[in-house]
Amino acid sequence: MTNVRENNLRKIICMEKNKIYALRKKWFPIASSSDLVKRHVFQAQLLGREFAVWRADDGNVNVWENRCLHRGVRLSIGINQGSELKCQYHGWRYANRTAGCTYIPAHPADAPARTICNNTYPVKEFIGMIWSGEDAIENDFSYKELSKRTVLRPVPINAPNDLVQKNLLNYYSELNFDGLLLNDGSIEINLGGKKKILFFIQPQDSKLSVVRGVLNATLSDEKRYHFLKEQNFIIERFREKMEQISENLNLEPMVAEIEEISNDLGEPPTKEDCGRKAELRLHVSERILTSRDVVSLKLKGIEGQLPTFHPGAHIDLHLQNGLIRQYSLVNGPGETDHYRIGVKLEKDGRGGSQYIHNNVKVGDLLATSAPRNNFPLRRDSLYTIFIAGGIGITPLLSMSKALHSMELDYEFHYFVQSEKDISFKETLKILGERVIIHKGLSQENTINKVRKILQKPGYYKNLYVCGPGPMLEATLKIASDLKWADDTIHFEYFKNDRKINNDSNFEIELARSALTLTVSAGKTILEILRENGVDLPSSCEQGACGTCKVNVIRGDIDHQDVYLNATERANKNIMMTCVSRSLSDRLILDI
Amino acid sequence: MIKLYDYLLSGNCFKIRLILSFLNLNYEKIHIEFYPSEEHKSENFLQINPLGQLPVISDDGFILRDAQAILVYLASKYDKGGTWYPVKNTDKIGMISQWLAFGDSLTGSASAARLHDTLFYHHFNIEKCRAMAHSQFRILDEHLFFQEELGNDWICDGVTPTIADIACFPYIALSEEGGISRISYPAIRRWLDRFKRIERFVVMPGVFPAGPGP
Amino acid sequence: MVSAFQDPVILNQWHPISSLEEINPSEKTFQTLLLDEEILYKMDKENKVLVWRKGSRDENLPTKLAYGFVWVCLGNPPETLFLFPEFDEPNRKNKATGVIGVNTSAGRAIENFCDMGHFPYVHKGILGEEPHTEVKNYDVEISDEPDEVLATNCKFFQPRANVTSTKGVDADYIYRVPHINCALLYKSSIVAGKLDVIVLFVQPMREEQIRAHTAMCIFDDSSTEKDIRLFQQLIFGQDKPILENQHPKRLPLNPRMETPIRADKTAISYRRWLLNKGLKYGTVAN
Ligand code: FES
Ligand SMILES: [Fe+2]
Repeated sequence: MTNVRENNLRKIICMEKNKIYALRKKWFPIASSSDLVKRHVFQAQLLGREFAVWRADDGNVNVWENRCLHRGVRLSIGINQGSELKCQYHGWRYANRTAGCTYIPAHPADAPARTICNNTYPVKEFIGMIWSGEDAIENDFSYKELSKRTVLRPVPINAPNDLVQKNLLNYYSELNFDGLLLNDGSIEINLGGKKKILFFIQPQDSKLSVVRGVLNATLSDEKRYHFLKEQNFIIERFREKMEQISENLNLEPMVAEIEEISNDLGEPPTKEDCGRKAELRLHVSERILTSRDVVSLKLKGIEGQLPTFHPGAHIDLHLQNGLIRQYSLVNGPGETDHYRIGVKLEKDGRGGSQYIHNNVKVGDLLATSAPRNNFPLRRDSLYTIFIAGGIGITPLLSMSKALHSMELDYEFHYFVQSEKDISFKETLKILGERVIIHKGLSQENTINKVRKILQKPGYYKNLYVCGPGPMLEATLKIASDLKWADDTIHFEYFKNDRKINNDSNFEIELARSALTLTVSAGKTILEILRENGVDLPSSCEQGACGTCKVNVIRGDIDHQDVYLNATERANKNIMMTCVSRSLSDRLILDI
Repeated sequence: MIKLYDYLLSGNCFKIRLILSFLNLNYEKIHIEFYPSEEHKSENFLQINPLGQLPVISDDGFILRDAQAILVYLASKYDKGGTWYPVKNTDKIGMISQWLAFGDSLTGSASAARLHDTLFYHHFNIEKCRAMAHSQFRILDEHLFFQEELGNDWICDGVTPTIADIACFPYIALSEEGGISRISYPAIRRWLDRFKRIERFVVMPGVFPAGPGP
Repeated sequence: MVSAFQDPVILNQWHPISSLEEINPSEKTFQTLLLDEEILYKMDKENKVLVWRKGSRDENLPTKLAYGFVWVCLGNPPETLFLFPEFDEPNRKNKATGVIGVNTSAGRAIENFCDMGHFPYVHKGILGEEPHTEVKNYDVEISDEPDEVLATNCKFFQPRANVTSTKGVDADYIYRVPHINCALLYKSSIVAGKLDVIVLFVQPMREEQIRAHTAMCIFDDSSTEKDIRLFQQLIFGQDKPILENQHPKRLPLNPRMETPIRADKTAISYRRWLLNKGLKYGTVAN
C-alpha cells in the first residue's frame, strides 16, 4: 500500500522536475527596470533559484546566483560598489559582467592564482523589465520593445503559477475587459481605445508568483499615478482571491540544485599550469596616440566574456611577426568588457613596439594570453605611494584606480620628460589631486624628489615603483637607505637589462617528479624542463616578470633576474627558471 | 544629560539610539539586560518603569517610556531643523502618528517572531506572527511604491525622513531573524537602503550597513 | 532531510541543552528541542537534573553534567565527553554568557566560530578592521588522540587591543574542535602564560535550527560579568544574520560546493573530519 503511494509520489515529483527543467529554458521577467536603482542589489527568484541582480554604474545589468562561491552567503546582502559587488562575509569582490573574483582580502599579497567566477545567468532588458532564465536560450526571446509603455506595480501572489495564469483572464473579463491568452504564455487585456496591458506571470516558487504588467502607452504624471493605483487595486483583489483558493495547498518549495564547481577550486590553489599560450583572440577596437610616442589600444573579445584581471596584471601579446611581448593592463575595477594597454615606441627596442606602432590598426585580430599577475596590489595598506616613470605608469594606473574606488589612501607620482609625454590624461584627471606630475627633472633632481617622497616609511605603508631601469634602481636604493622594509617595496621592471651569463653547466633534480636533468651552457632551466615534458608557465622569459618562479629546496642559486628583492634572494629558496642558474653542481627544485 | 536605559539587541531601543545619533545628541547608556538575566523585570528597574519595558529615557530627571513617545519627545525638543517631527504642520503630524502606530504594531508581529526564534519566547504563535508581519509589510511596500511614484523617498515625506521612518525601520530590518523574508517587498528594500544612508546612521547586531550611495 | 534516527553519529552523542546557571535555583520545567524531538528538563530539590521526552515523563534520558552544562543523549551515550581541563583550574571564572537561537546548522555555526577572515567585516572595529584583512599562515591538524581538529599559531590584527593603544596588535588564537558541535577558542589572558577560553556549545534543535550556548573560562579582574555577556551577545548577534543568509544552511561536506582558500584550512579539516565520521544530520554531501 505505502509502496504504491510512494511510487506515485515519486512519479509526481519526477513530473514536477521535468516541468521545471522545461520552464528553466524560458525567459521570464524577474524585476522592473525601475527596481534596479543605483547602488542597490535586488533579490530575485525564479523557479526556486535565487538571484542577486544589480546594475553597475556603467548601466550593465548583472544577474548572478545569489550565493557567494566562497561560503555561500547571499550576495543580495552584499554591497554594490558601482563596478564590483562586495560580499558581506569576507569582503570578496566580484567584477561587473564577468562575476570573476578580483580580490580576496584574507590574502592581500596574492593575486588569485585562478579565476573564481560566480554563476551568472543570461539577461535582457526589455519593455521596462529585466528578463532572465536559468538556461534561457538566446534566440528564443520573442518579446518586442514597446516604444511607449507604463510598467505596473508588480504584485506577488502566494499561489502557484498555473493557477494565476489560468484565472487572470477570467478575472478581468468579470470586470468586462476582454483579453487573450497568447502563445508565449503572456496575457493581453484590452482596455479599449487601442490601450492594452500585457501581463507576464513570473513563477518565483511553487507557491509564489509575481504578476507583472505593462501598458502600451505613456501617461502624463497625474494620469499615470491614478492608472497605476487603479490597476494595483484590481490586481490586489485578484491576489486575495487566488490566495484564498490556494491557502490550504501544501506544496514543497522548488529545489534549485547547487552546481558543483570545477575540481581544482574545491581545494586551495597549488600551482598554475599553463605555458606561454595564447588562449585569447582579441580585436583592436580603438587605437589612440595618448602621448607623443605611446599608443593606447583597446582590445575586445570576439565572443563571450574576458577572463577576470587584477590590478597589476599583464597580458602577453603574440604579434603576427612572431614576437611575444608583455603589456600591463590599465583597466580599473569593473572595466571588464575590454582590456586596455599602453605601448611606448622603443626606437632601439627589440622590435615589438615598432611593430605595434607601425602595423597594428583598428579591427586587427591579436592573439594574447589570459591576464597574469606577478605584481599584485596589497589593499590592506593604510597608505600607498606609487612612483611611475614614463610608460611605467600602466600597471600603477590600474592599481590606483582600484584603491580609488575602495576609498583607500594613496599618492601617485608620475615622472615624465615633458608635457607631451603625459599618457592617459583622462584617467589621471579622474584620480584628481592625488596625482602629482613631475616634468622634465634632471637625473639629480629626480633622485632628490624621490628621496623627499620616500622620507617617511611607516606603519602599513607600501611603495609601488615601475619605470625605466636606472630610475627603478635609484628608487629602490633610496627606499632601502631610508629603511623601508623589503616587503613594503614592490617593483616591476619592463625588461632585464643585465647581461645574462649562461656559461655554467649543472644538474637539476626535480624533487616531486624524481627526475634529474642536465642543464648545459647556452640552455636555460626552463628550456630543459620543457624539453622533458615539464610544463611551467612563463611570460617574458628574461627574468623580469616573475611568471616562471619555482621553489628551490637545496643548492646555490645564481640569480640573474630583476624580479626578486634582496630578502627573497637572501632566503635562497626561489628562482626564475628562465634566466637564473646554479653556482653549485646541483639544484634541487620543488617540482 | 540624557540617559538611555538600553538593551543591545532590542529593536525598540535601537529606535532611540538612531534618533539620538541623527540629532547628534550626547547621552549615557545604561545597559539593562533583557536576556538571560531579565533585568527589566528587576525591582530596581520596575521603579523606573512599572511596565518593565525598554526603552526608557531620563532627560535631566524627566522620565519617559515607550519608544514612539520618546521619538516624539526628542524630535520635538531637540531637532533644530524641525524636520524629523514638524510640530507646526498638522497634516504631517497626523500622518506621522498614523505610521508611528504602525511601527508600534510590528512589536506584536515581526518583533515577536524574532523573539521566538532568537530568544525562545515559546508563548508566541509563530505562524500567526509571521502572517501578520507579511500583511503589514505588504501594506508598507505598496505605500512606499506609490511614494516613490510621487518622487517621495520617505514614509511621510519627500525630502527628509521623519520619526515615522525610524519607528518602522528596526523590526523590518531585523525581520529575517524571525523567519520573515523580504523578497516580496522590493520597495521596502530600497527604502531600507536609503535609510541606511542617512547621515550618522548607526548599525546594531543583525543590521548590515549599506555601501556608499549614488 | 535526514532524521537523527538514521544517523548514529549524531544520535550517539552528548548534546548540550542548557547551562546549569539557567536552570539552577528554580524547580521550573523547561522545554526545548533536540534533534527534532521535544524534550523537557528540570532541576529538582536535590539539585538533580532530570530530562525526558515529551509524553514520556517516567523515562529519564541519559544525562551528564559537565563544564557548566547539562548534556543529553538520545541514543547510546558515549562513555566520555571531550576533555576541557582548563575548566577545573583554580582562579578561573567559569560563566555561561547566554544562548541565542539561529536558523542554521550546527556545522555552519562551528565553522564560523573558527573563521578569522570575517573579523574586519562582520565584527568591524571590535575583532578586526579594514584594511587589515590578512589571515596569516597558521597550522592545523586532525589529531587522533584526542580526536579533534586543532588550529594553532593563528594571528589576527585586532584594532585597539586595549584602551590606551592607538595602534592595533596581532592577537593570538588557538582553536579546538573536540566535538562535532563544540568549539573552544583560546586567547591570551591577563595571567602570563595562561590562556582565556571562550566556548561555543551548539545544540542542534533541527537540521537547520540551533541553540548556540556560549560560555567563558577566563582569568578576569576588571570587566563585570554583565559586560562580558553583552560582548558575547554583540558578537553572536553580528554573526547571526550572516549564518541565516548562507545557502545551503546545512554544511556542505562535498568539497566541490564551495571555494576554500588557504585561510580556510581549519574549515577544510573540520569538513573532512566530519565526512570521515560519516555525519549526515545537518550536512549535505552531494
Ligand atoms: S562568503 Fe562571500 S566572501 Fe566569504
Ligand atoms: Fe563571528
